[in-house]
Amino acid sequence: MELSIKNMTVAFGGLKALNGISLNFPSSRITGLIGPNGSGKSTMINAISGVLKPTFGKVYLDGESIDSLRSDQIVGRGLARTFQIPRVPPQLTVCEIISVPFAYVGRRHALIEGLSDARSIAQYFDLEAVYERPCADLSVTYLRRLEIARAIACGPSVLLLDEAMAGLSHEDAVQVSDLVRRVHDAGVTVVIVEHVMSIISTLCDEVVVLNEGQLLAQGKPFEVLSDPTVREAYLGKGFKQ
Amino acid sequence: MDLSLIYQSLLLALCAAGLYATVASGLTLEFGVTRIINFAHGEFVMLGAFQTYFMFELQGISPVVGMITSGISMGLLSIIVYWGFLAKVLKQDEHNQILATLGLSIFILNMAVILWTPDTRVMHAPALLPTLKFAEIIIPGNNLVVLLVGCGLFLCLMAFMRFSRYGVQLRLASDDPALATLAGVNVDRMFCLSFVIGGITAGIAGGLVALVLYVHPYVGMDLVMRAFAIVALAGLGSIPGALIGAVLLSVIEGIVANFVSQGASWGYGVSFLIILLVLLVRPTGLFGKELRS
Amino acid sequence: MKSLALKKVAVYFVVIAVCSFIVLANDAFSMQLTIGVLITVILALAWDILSRTGQVTLGSAAFFGLGAYGMGLLSPLLGTFGAWVGMLAICGLVAMLLGLLTLRLRKMYFAIATLGLALSLQVLVLVFRDWTGGSSGISPPVLLDADPQLQLLAITGFVILAMFVSDYFLSDRMRPALFLVRTNPELASASGIPVVRTRILIFTVSGMLAGIAGALYGGLYGYVVPTDVFTIHWSVIPLAIVILGGMDSTLGPILGAVMIKTIEEIARFYIGGVGYQVTYGAIIVLFVLFLPGGVLGLIKELFKQSVKGRI
Repeated sequence: MELSIKNMTVAFGGLKALNGISLNFPSSRITGLIGPNGSGKSTMINAISGVLKPTFGKVYLDGESIDSLRSDQIVGRGLARTFQIPRVPPQLTVCEIISVPFAYVGRRHALIEGLSDARSIAQYFDLEAVYERPCADLSVTYLRRLEIARAIACGPSVLLLDEAMAGLSHEDAVQVSDLVRRVHDAGVTVVIVEHVMSIISTLCDEVVVLNEGQLLAQGKPFEVLSDPTVREAYLGKGFKQ
Repeated sequence: MDLSLIYQSLLLALCAAGLYATVASGLTLEFGVTRIINFAHGEFVMLGAFQTYFMFELQGISPVVGMITSGISMGLLSIIVYWGFLAKVLKQDEHNQILATLGLSIFILNMAVILWTPDTRVMHAPALLPTLKFAEIIIPGNNLVVLLVGCGLFLCLMAFMRFSRYGVQLRLASDDPALATLAGVNVDRMFCLSFVIGGITAGIAGGLVALVLYVHPYVGMDLVMRAFAIVALAGLGSIPGALIGAVLLSVIEGIVANFVSQGASWGYGVSFLIILLVLLVRPTGLFGKELRS
Repeated sequence: MKSLALKKVAVYFVVIAVCSFIVLANDAFSMQLTIGVLITVILALAWDILSRTGQVTLGSAAFFGLGAYGMGLLSPLLGTFGAWVGMLAICGLVAMLLGLLTLRLRKMYFAIATLGLALSLQVLVLVFRDWTGGSSGISPPVLLDADPQLQLLAITGFVILAMFVSDYFLSDRMRPALFLVRTNPELASASGIPVVRTRILIFTVSGMLAGIAGALYGGLYGYVVPTDVFTIHWSVIPLAIVILGGMDSTLGPILGAVMIKTIEEIARFYIGGVGYQVTYGAIIVLFVLFLPGGVLGLIKELFKQSVKGRI
């Protein structure tokens, strides 16, 4: 399924967090979304997933407009997202966290082969070992994988990952990116917001750079990451490499 | 319908606005800074009312002195309640916070019932100010006192928040506790300060209550329901809005009392209807801070 | 989880067994006491079910009163059965409307609105005295000809119903969803749960259960006055019961109701009047601070410790 946004503006009072952005996220690509802090990346994810309502602009999922829908309705249409800081109820178990979205939404979609119930989803994400454990007991590594598992349990055709690697060691991050590639290969459109550049360059087919709410650059990872304007946005003027 | 009678009752209702504004502004200050709705705020007003009442009836102490003393003692009580109890609760989730202040409110209310019985008492204080007469309208002196003290207290509170050093720190602590800490503000102390100020205003308001209303363990609940309506009208966290909300509420109550059958006994009903209407039309209130649902 | 299912069945068994025993013993005082406890159990379960979505309601008294007054006002028009249906419909409707207004917003608006509802309904009854009988009260149909044994059996039946409803909302499908709505509504929504709709549904169920409690109360003697049912007492009691007994469970409110009744009888004896309710305030404050899991939570914790000790 293709995701696209047209002329999206999100304004908080006088401050424009996003300013008239148009982008396409085709299903054939894993798109990376990068930019310095405050550039509007999370705002974009929030606006697409229904957490925020865009001040102007449209969001299209598979050709249909979703910008006036609630988040749970958007999930029902096939778009799921992860949260940077999931804050799950600590007493709920891994099994329960995966079962809920599966029962409410995922069951009806069944996109990825072999994921027919909560347990198989847990296996896919290597969470079998902690399946019955409450979230309070889990380490960051498990929690991050659980959050992606939760999103996949919604049975989405489009997956938005909001800094899904934060706090992970390099090995763990690589393992998670392998999982993301597996998910993409199974047919899910992936958009990944990330700060860890090594992940972006190995995982993404295309990278979009935001700065101060506007589109700064777009292209293959190598092109974008060596673009001097991009470096300047991150490091500030006057920093010559 | 006798116009002057209507003006009279409306003006009397307006005098109540000063009182309502004081109660509401204490509540909204506490919320604005700590994000806790202090359900026990009304009980502090009630305690202040009892203190002023007993000081007058038993020792003949002037209600003016009584009010000030009540303010001080409620301020002190707030410190004890904060460090002994509320500080712990602030760290828990909103669910528990609501339960905690509710429990406190129930506790204080019933302690008052046990100590002082549920009988209604009226303080027969002499008029502190002469009665105001113009045209055919008569405003008793004590109602004037309520209006003046209530508005005066409210203005002091606004000036404090706007101009004093502590006021600035309080506002910073309320908008962004993390940033405030970095700026050197002792956020815990600011939280406590907001409760102390709330307590002081509650105590003084209690004195006003004793002066013109009645003294009864449930009087706090009466007022707090109105305070909630005012805060809903004005918006949580807005102190200037509290005065406007108070005026609006007292005018509406006055109109209902005069023009609706049996309107005078509607009591809470007016406040509740106002809350519902505001929630229907404009949930953030007229001037309120951003709603986070 | 076979052991969990067994435990739950055991609770039903114990409740039925104890109540049957009291019925057979036919002692007026214990039957009256038990009826009182059972009515508060229904009210407490209604409160707890709602609290699982994170909403603190102070409006139990409102629905309690609507239950009693609903029966009293509707039975002359619709007969007893019709009155039950009508009463449930009214409670459900009021809950839905109030929920639509308040459940999109911060939790405290809901708490304040439900408090306002409870206080205002009492005023409403007094103001429209031509319709409601005002302060002279109303006569709901008497339950089962005022026969205490039959009443106790019937009320036990309703308690079992309330327990079923409570256990349904603790089932594997509902419980995690409700907790998500409570703890992180954004995450719940992102998991496909219609948050506001869920809150309204639960509030409607809770309101109807509280109405049932009120209808049963009204039917005990066939006569209630506004200050009997629309008083803050009925909003505070479920709070105290659930906090004391243990939230998020069916057993907790049952334990809590028994303990609160005991405390109430003792406190009434020593303190008398209305002030004995100070114990509720003290319990709520102490437990929220030190023992938020309630007595049930304490028991579970002790059990866990002793099991660990053995291994």
